[in-house]
Amino acid sequence: MEEQGAPAAGTPEPEPERAEKVVTLRPFDLADADDVITWASDPVVTASMPWASGPCPTRESLLAFLRDGDSAPPHPWVRAVCLGSVSGGGGAVVGAVAVTPTDDWCRAEIGVVLARARWSVGLAAAAMRRAVAEVFVDGGAPRGGTLEGVERVEAVVEARGGGGDASRRALEEAGFRREAVLRSYRAVEGQLRDMAIYSFISTDPLLLH
Amino acid sequence: MEREPEMEVTLREFAEADTEALFSWASDPRVVRFQRREAYSRVDEARRYILDHVLPHPWYRAICVGSVVVGSISIKPGPAEEGGSRRRSPSSTRASLGYRLAHGYWGRGIATRAVRMAAEAAFAEWPWLARLEAVADGENPASQRVLEKAGFVREGVLRRYLVLKGRPRDMVMFSSVDTDRRNKPVEAHGL
Repeated sequence: MEEQGAPAAGTPEPEPERAEKVVTLRPFDLADADDVITWASDPVVTASMPWASGPCPTRESLLAFLRDGDSAPPHPWVRAVCLGSVSGGGGAVVGAVAVTPTDDWCRAEIGVVLARARWSVGLAAAAMRRAVAEVFVDGGAPRGGTLEGVERVEAVVEARGGGGDASRRALEEAGFRREAVLRSYRAVEGQLRDMAIYSFISTDPLLLH
Repeated sequence: MEREPEMEVTLREFAEADTEALFSWASDPRVVRFQRREAYSRVDEARRYILDHVLPHPWYRAICVGSVVVGSISIKPGPAEEGGSRRRSPSSTRASLGYRLAHGYWGRGIATRAVRMAAEAAFAEWPWLARLEAVADGENPASQRVLEKAGFVREGVLRRYLVLKGRPRDMVMFSSVDTDRRNKPVEAHGL
């Protein structure tokens, strides 16, 4: 997703220059620790993060995750979500997207976590669009990769109500198809909830623009 | 209407002595067509399956017509998408159901009756159960009809959901939930 920012103030340019934000994915790196730690300890964010074994990750567990990255089960495919400018390189790491295989090798679950201050439907959708594009490059998960054989990427979110609204919109904007409402599927905060299941399969059209 | 005794459908636990009966449908390609496993070719495979999988299973029953064992029906506690563990996680409120019937007994409503009975038993025996689900292959309309006639609600088609015989399959998801059966508001479930 590309957003238009305000033009730089000051000396007029011969050609107008627009500051554009670009979302890219890349593997995590140890050098990301400073960026990540600014938002990773937010309990709302941390709850679903790969490194979360408790409410607050230690710097050690975070560094271990950043160092081992994709090789550490149960998260064989994780990418840093970077928000930068077209001209200026990768940009800051604002979140993570993980695609995790299930017991059926054709099926994997996607999860996106973003720094709370940066969260937007557009950003979450962009991260997921790029994730499925990478997973299904050339129409299928690459042979020999950690997601070999995966033909379905799915997400389960609350079927209705404000709490899941942004997630549902992000999935739809990323091109996922809502397939069903699974009744009384999961307990959320002590209450049984209906959950909507969304999927993106290897033959669905990739929505990169 | 009195049902003739030999047509009465009952469920009972399996024994090793049911090996031949299980082999009769587990070796039939028509029956195993929409299952993960390949057809058995040796009776000993059926015997091992009973000893290693059926007897230790949390809920596995033989479907009987009169005294004849004609199929099986099983319910696995825990999320349908997680295989392997036979012990459900403490917070799980779901279970998944599957069944198989010898080909000669298809088309008589036996599977429908067995599914109804199994669902009643599960909700009666497991107070933690809120959702009983079952999937049927997208190309298996007969099994979809069994679940519908047994009172399950069709929720949708999940694309490339499971691997059967090495191929990803579209599966139709069905469920029977606690509130279907008891007409109780969800909040009364007491989680």
